[in-house]
Amino acid sequence: MALKKFVSDDGKKITISVDERFDFSVHQSFRDAYIDADTIGSEFILDLSKTTYMDSSALGMILLLKDHVEKSSSSLKISKPNDTVNKVLEIAQFHRLMTIER
Amino acid sequence: MNKVQYLLTGGIVTAVITLVGIVFELPASFAFVTSLVGLICLLMLFKEIKAVYSIPGEQLTSSPNFDEAIVESMLIGINETLNEQMAMVAQEIERSKNLLRDAVSGISDSFKELQGLSATQQQLIAQVLENINGLGDDHSKTMEDFVRDSDNTLENFVEVIVSTSKQSLKTMAYTDDMVKQFDGIFNLISQVENLASQTNLLALNAAIEAARAGDAGRGFAVVANEVRSLSVNSTELNNDIREQILGAREIITSLREAVEKMASADMTSTLESKSNVSEMMNQVQEMNQMSTKIVDELANLAPRMSETVSIGVRSLQFEDMIYQTLGSLDFNFKQLSQLSHSLSTFDKNAVNPAAQLQAIVAECSAISQTTKDKNEHRTVSQVSMDEGEVDLF
Repeated sequence: MALKKFVSDDGKKITISVDERFDFSVHQSFRDAYIDADTIGSEFILDLSKTTYMDSSALGMILLLKDHVEKSSSSLKISKPNDTVNKVLEIAQFHRLMTIER
Repeated sequence: MNKVQYLLTGGIVTAVITLVGIVFELPASFAFVTSLVGLICLLMLFKEIKAVYSIPGEQLTSSPNFDEAIVESMLIGINETLNEQMAMVAQEIERSKNLLRDAVSGISDSFKELQGLSATQQQLIAQVLENINGLGDDHSKTMEDFVRDSDNTLENFVEVIVSTSKQSLKTMAYTDDMVKQFDGIFNLISQVENLASQTNLLALNAAIEAARAGDAGRGFAVVANEVRSLSVNSTELNNDIREQILGAREIITSLREAVEKMASADMTSTLESKSNVSEMMNQVQEMNQMSTKIVDELANLAPRMSETVSIGVRSLQFEDMIYQTLGSLDFNFKQLSQLSHSLSTFDKNAVNPAAQLQAIVAECSAISQTTKDKNEHRTVSQVSMDEGEVDLF
């Protein structure tokens, strides 16, 4: 499984953790990981600490996740991207759209 | 040796020193001093001769022809030496003047050209820098603008890629939903198939019951048969629908692949481009800073250069000074020439040689006086080039 999902006991903190490759192959499981979590005021954390490669579909997935998060007035935080991944995020101007925690 | 001989030797030695001074281009003041010493020697010589001649009595009368002959030969000798040296001096003065004129005009021209070239160079550099910085024309794009545009274009490009990916993924989600719908249809078709086979079975039962009823059931047997063929038809129809949906599913698989390609763009090359643009931006800024620095340095250099050229041009006034010195030398030379002329007028067969000598001596002292007067009014008293006014060019 290239993707792991942890939900806190109160169901308000959802952590999605992606493996080395964050690309189109994970889109289905990525969507499944968040699509049913619609509790108002949840906290979504996208853990990219293990990710070494990310293509544009990953960026698209993050944007869709952001749309979903905004629908339920929740927050989104990207956690610990490595240098390469962080550069991709910077090029896409994601640091203007969401919190990126290094 | 008597006093006359001493003075004669002194005069000749002085003349030789003068000549040597001119040949080795020693200062004009040297020539002047030596010619003065020469003149003084001559004057003293004449005084001596005059003294000899002015003694009345035995010495003059005892051997007058002998003394006159000696005096004449001496005068002729001095005169010859003088003429010889004067010719050389005249030649050297003329040569110095020509050399000086040529050299000075050459240096002066090259200085002026240097100034002109420096100005042209300054203009050209300014022009080049203007082109680089786009200061000259508001409409022209600078390097910096170009790089910034590239950066913007790159950002827009990334934005387009990301939004394409997002839309593709949305499409993907819709497609997945559609596939689920298809699965539902499959389910329904299975139920319909079930119905058809049950109908078929029912029709079969009906046909059996109709056969058992005999003639009375003949008509019902026909209906049962029709119902059975209907159920077969509906099974065929169901199979067609299933095939169509399977075809649609294959198309969806292709659609998935196409959307996947659309959604997945590798960002590596974009990353490289981005870092290239950033690097270029830094370089352009560095270049601009460097250009500004160079412009400042050039601006400082230009006045220094023209000042240096001015100093060079000003230093050329030595030509004028040397000309004046040469002019003085010319004057002294003419005096010498006059002296030579006076000496040549001596005639031993004259009625009164003593009186003639006295006349020559008088002329000599007149010449001496003129030289002294002239020296007092001498314009060139400067020793150093740094002194004096600069209004010669």
